[in-house]
Amino acid sequence: MSASDEDRIAYLAGEQVESLTPDERSELDELRALLEAEAMWAEPPDELEDRVVAAIADAAGTSPALEQVKRPRPRQFATPVQPADVRRAAREEQASQPPQAPPARQPPPPQPSRQLKKPRRERSWVITILERPAYAFGLLAVLVAVVAGTTLISTSGGGSPSPPPLQFAMVVNGTSLAPGAHGSATLTKMSSGWQVELSATGLPHLTNGRYYQAWLKNSAGVLVPIGTFNDAVKVTLWSGVPVTQFRTLTVTRQEANGNPASSGQRVLTGTIKSSG
Amino acid sequence: MAHAGLSTGFRDGDPDAVRAVYREYGRLVFAVAYRVLGDRGLAEEATQQTFVKAWRAAASFDAERELGPWLVAIARRVAIDVSRRETVRAADSLDSVAPGHPALSSSPEALEAVYDVWEVRRAVAELPPEEQDVVRLQHFKGYTHVEIAERLELPVGTIKSRSFRAHKRLAALLGHLREE
Repeated sequence: MSASDEDRIAYLAGEQVESLTPDERSELDELRALLEAEAMWAEPPDELEDRVVAAIADAAGTSPALEQVKRPRPRQFATPVQPADVRRAAREEQASQPPQAPPARQPPPPQPSRQLKKPRRERSWVITILERPAYAFGLLAVLVAVVAGTTLISTSGGGSPSPPPLQFAMVVNGTSLAPGAHGSATLTKMSSGWQVELSATGLPHLTNGRYYQAWLKNSAGVLVPIGTFNDAVKVTLWSGVPVTQFRTLTVTRQEANGNPASSGQRVLTGTIKSSG
Repeated sequence: MAHAGLSTGFRDGDPDAVRAVYREYGRLVFAVAYRVLGDRGLAEEATQQTFVKAWRAAASFDAERELGPWLVAIARRVAIDVSRRETVRAADSLDSVAPGHPALSSSPEALEAVYDVWEVRRAVAELPPEEQDVVRLQHFKGYTHVEIAERLELPVGTIKSRSFRAHKRLAALLGHLREE
């Protein structure tokens, strides 16, 4: 094994190696990114095997004779397909074909009859009211009263200051992946959502397709993404879900690999406390 | 690699052959589907559909060929179809869409990219279990050698040598070492 191979292995194993060329580094980075992907490690449930066998048995059992007729004649291939063939086919597919339109859909399965019936159209209550003058005048009177009342309330407040926005604060701490990281976050209710101002130190600046992503989590474990960034020194994030329910803030390390799910690599976490 | 008899049994819908093919390729098909869809439940559905579609098309398959690349291509197509279906369904507010939902994902993975997933996963599966553990903890969990040693209650030196052996094997299996 050459010295260069040892360097490659060391780099693949996560060590800092300066001797590699950018091309070598890029090639190994791709492999490292794959090894970090959840798809690489996710295991299907044990019962999936039974489901597959049952599904094929079902398909075979529906009409075996028909299946035989429907199956196309075997094609003959001169040589076995090799991985290189897959790559070549992929390149040819990309080069020669425009993006495919969505495939023709299977006809939908039969629905219960109640779903096939159009619901009976309800008579509009607006039409009912407008057809009767007494109802219409009554409605107009109510509208006038509501508008007048609203105006009175808004003007009587005059110069009094508006109440302070609802605000929460939290301390965020590094996990075992980033034990030196720490900071804080302020979460403020605004008209367009919750503004989350995060400030933390101890996290390295990530680039080259790697980034941080912040999430809010509720008690059921549902994660909602609230933004991505390269470092957390001072970052403003936005949440469309209420922090009163999604009380835990986490930050994960992510890879721009087409998989938008959380990588599970949490580096920061904190839970809100009311700041009064 | 599935032998010709297995492919023939699979084509004929023989339950034992279907099970054998699933046991050999099920994890890999699931990995490809998961890579494209990013959702465990949908990946399970796509895996099941992949095997049914493969079975339906098995008469067109030359039993002398390797099943793997053929299944990868089917799995990717099925997963893209599932992804498109879910994208159409997801007409709700973005707030109600869970992170990782395929409706939020970008364009589907290229065939070459999903085949990389297949190859790497197959290479990892060839490592001894103790080396698989180290690679998983190091890359997927992001642990350092020291953290892995603490977790597995082994000396750091043992973890380092396992890691080196594992990555050397992976690099060789995946052609990342220079050809002498």
